[in-house]
Amino acid sequence: MVTVLVSYPENCTGCRFCELICSLYHEGVVNTKKARLRVQKPDIMNDIPLVCTQCITCGDRCCVDSCPEDAISIVDGVVTIDEGLCTACGNCRKACPYGVIWMDKKAHKCDLCGGDPMCVKFCPSGALRFEEADKNSYTSMLEAWGDQ
Amino acid sequence: MHAVGGKILYVDLTSGEVRTEEVTPDLVKKYLGGDGLAVKLFTDNMDPSVEPFDDKNVLVFAPGLFTGLPVPTGGKCLFLSRSPLTGTIAESVMGGNIGAELKMAGYDAIVITGKSDNPCVLSVWNDIVEIKDGSPYWGMVTREAQEAIRGDLKVSSVACIGPAGEKLVRYATIDCEDRQSGRAGLGAVMGSKNLKAIAVRGTKDLTVADPEGLIELVLKLQDTMEKSGAFVDDTKYGTGEFLNWINEERGVFPTRNWQESVFEARKEIDPYYWAPRYTLRSKGCFGCTKACGKLFVVQEGKYSGTKLDGIEYETLYSLGGECSNPDIEALARANEVCDLLGIDTISAGVCIGFTMELVERGILSTNEVGMDCRFGNPDAVVEMSEMIGRRQGFGEILGEGVMRAAKEIGNGVERYAMHVKGMEPPAYDVRGIKGMGLGFMTSPRGACHLRSGVYALNLVGKFWRWENVDRFTAEGKGEQVKAMEDFMTVYDSLGVCRFSRGFFLIDGYIPFVRAIMGYEMSEEEILQVGERVNNLKQLFNYSVGVRREDFYLPRRLIEEPIKDGVAKGAIITEEEMHRMLDDYLDVRGWENDGKPGERKLMELKLA
Repeated sequence: MVTVLVSYPENCTGCRFCELICSLYHEGVVNTKKARLRVQKPDIMNDIPLVCTQCITCGDRCCVDSCPEDAISIVDGVVTIDEGLCTACGNCRKACPYGVIWMDKKAHKCDLCGGDPMCVKFCPSGALRFEEADKNSYTSMLEAWGDQ
Repeated sequence: MHAVGGKILYVDLTSGEVRTEEVTPDLVKKYLGGDGLAVKLFTDNMDPSVEPFDDKNVLVFAPGLFTGLPVPTGGKCLFLSRSPLTGTIAESVMGGNIGAELKMAGYDAIVITGKSDNPCVLSVWNDIVEIKDGSPYWGMVTREAQEAIRGDLKVSSVACIGPAGEKLVRYATIDCEDRQSGRAGLGAVMGSKNLKAIAVRGTKDLTVADPEGLIELVLKLQDTMEKSGAFVDDTKYGTGEFLNWINEERGVFPTRNWQESVFEARKEIDPYYWAPRYTLRSKGCFGCTKACGKLFVVQEGKYSGTKLDGIEYETLYSLGGECSNPDIEALARANEVCDLLGIDTISAGVCIGFTMELVERGILSTNEVGMDCRFGNPDAVVEMSEMIGRRQGFGEILGEGVMRAAKEIGNGVERYAMHVKGMEPPAYDVRGIKGMGLGFMTSPRGACHLRSGVYALNLVGKFWRWENVDRFTAEGKGEQVKAMEDFMTVYDSLGVCRFSRGFFLIDGYIPFVRAIMGYEMSEEEILQVGERVNNLKQLFNYSVGVRREDFYLPRRLIEEPIKDGVAKGAIITEEEMHRMLDDYLDVRGWENDGKPGERKLMELKLA
């Protein structure tokens, strides 16, 4: 069984604590623009969908295919960037339809904090959960990803 | 230096000049950020002879020291200026993303002076600061203006005024994402400067001394919070959670313009009743993991389509009990009207309740008022809110605030005008909470429950250093109010919410200062910041002529005892009012007329 990071936008309060803790944990600084996930505010009053960066439902392989260095691969269902191979060309960031890859000296994205995602740990309202993937959707996702 | 943006931004709207100054470590140690920093910058740059609506009035915007960092409930920011409502120094704290955004743009405060010739928007994109044309947005309601500016200028967060601020309603708000800098009319100060909005996008890093240590601390605090009873009720019902307790068990919920203290129709306005039906979800301030904001939606009926972040406890009183309005949907609509047009719900409600009393007493006719403005008429509350926000009809007079309105109406109606220093009071009948009565008097911005927050201590009977506090006696209140004012000022300077005081006191922030700033500050040192700031505020107020008599409570509170409920008979006598004030001035080290004493100023390194 595979555990995945799932967002429940209907529970999100828009506090953005996930963004704060993500940047602090990964980058050692606080900067919501460097967080590997985004809370979006489409408008002031309306719902605040939360876009998770695990790419697990994307299935379009946009970033994988865009990388000229083959630095992006899928490891246990998680899109992973090999920073050793990355040349920071920025193709993946442009390719990603969700805008979840950001560039510094290398490309960065969510890596599930090695299996204990900080955003889930600190989410006060259950809008982010780390739970077992629904078998059916996971299978179809895997099919979409090919045989990786 | 850690935690700070690093610079103060000075903007002169008359000349268009923009400059910055470095923030020094000494400044941060002495004033932290937020309230403390804003008061320092304001008093340094403000000439006391400048009137609130003068071009030269100084408006400061400042996020707290911890704002923008992952400190639970620590996302607050505030505006501060000389208030058009009270004429005193006044700050108003709000949530919203703009505070954090400003820190990430590299600034710890904006100091705005001057007046633009035409409507303008101050746009801050990291180092690029521009004064842009604001005429396309002039006249827009708050939500509409923020959406438009966010889209046009590609910024992340916008704080703006509504039509009421443009028309100089003396209690106009500044709104950011349906959170308001609500009290004291700072929106009108923006309006008087032709400044429609401040728009910010920041992409810089904020650093902390010990990232790992901070994460551990936050985990611990989060755990403490989630285990507290207040957490469950706050997140489920919002700030109205204690309405019934205050109304029935304590008997101090001001009703019908403070003629009564128990609202008989409280069931309809109690969130325990309405939350399951109207609350769709919770909404948090920036960085707050204890979301007390509620998305309230009316889906059918006359007020269908009403949608707002609320309804807060104070508004349940002001547009509810104060006007004897039992209709929660009309209340929600009136609240939304206030938010959209940009007026303070507390002041608006008290102005409407005041008018209703005058109509019932036959001093004003419904013709003069232009509507059937009587207690218990929910539609009148909605209509009058709209009239005030647009300054039409009778709203023109009410937009001046209850003190000025009473003077204008004449006929001896001043005795029905509830205010201290011109500020309309919040939802605590202080006749049955004497410490809070003193808090109303001593608050630099007039009748306010938040400067001292002493209501909680008095109503519960214990908090922090105190136990077995009797809310009906005048004893010991001077010391309590002084200490709590300093305590709360620290919260406002750090940028943390007062709603975390239930599980986190000043000493709880010592390890946070260590992990974030990288140095030690003792509880005494931190509290001294609060004391220093409150002395600076009174120094300014004294210099604009605030004297002892300006501290006094409205006549009704010292002449008419509470009529009903468990606090029946309670009153603050004139003698008690003076005794509490004397106690307070004594503990503060201030003179009998309110002048901060030389010795105290030396001790605080202010003289």
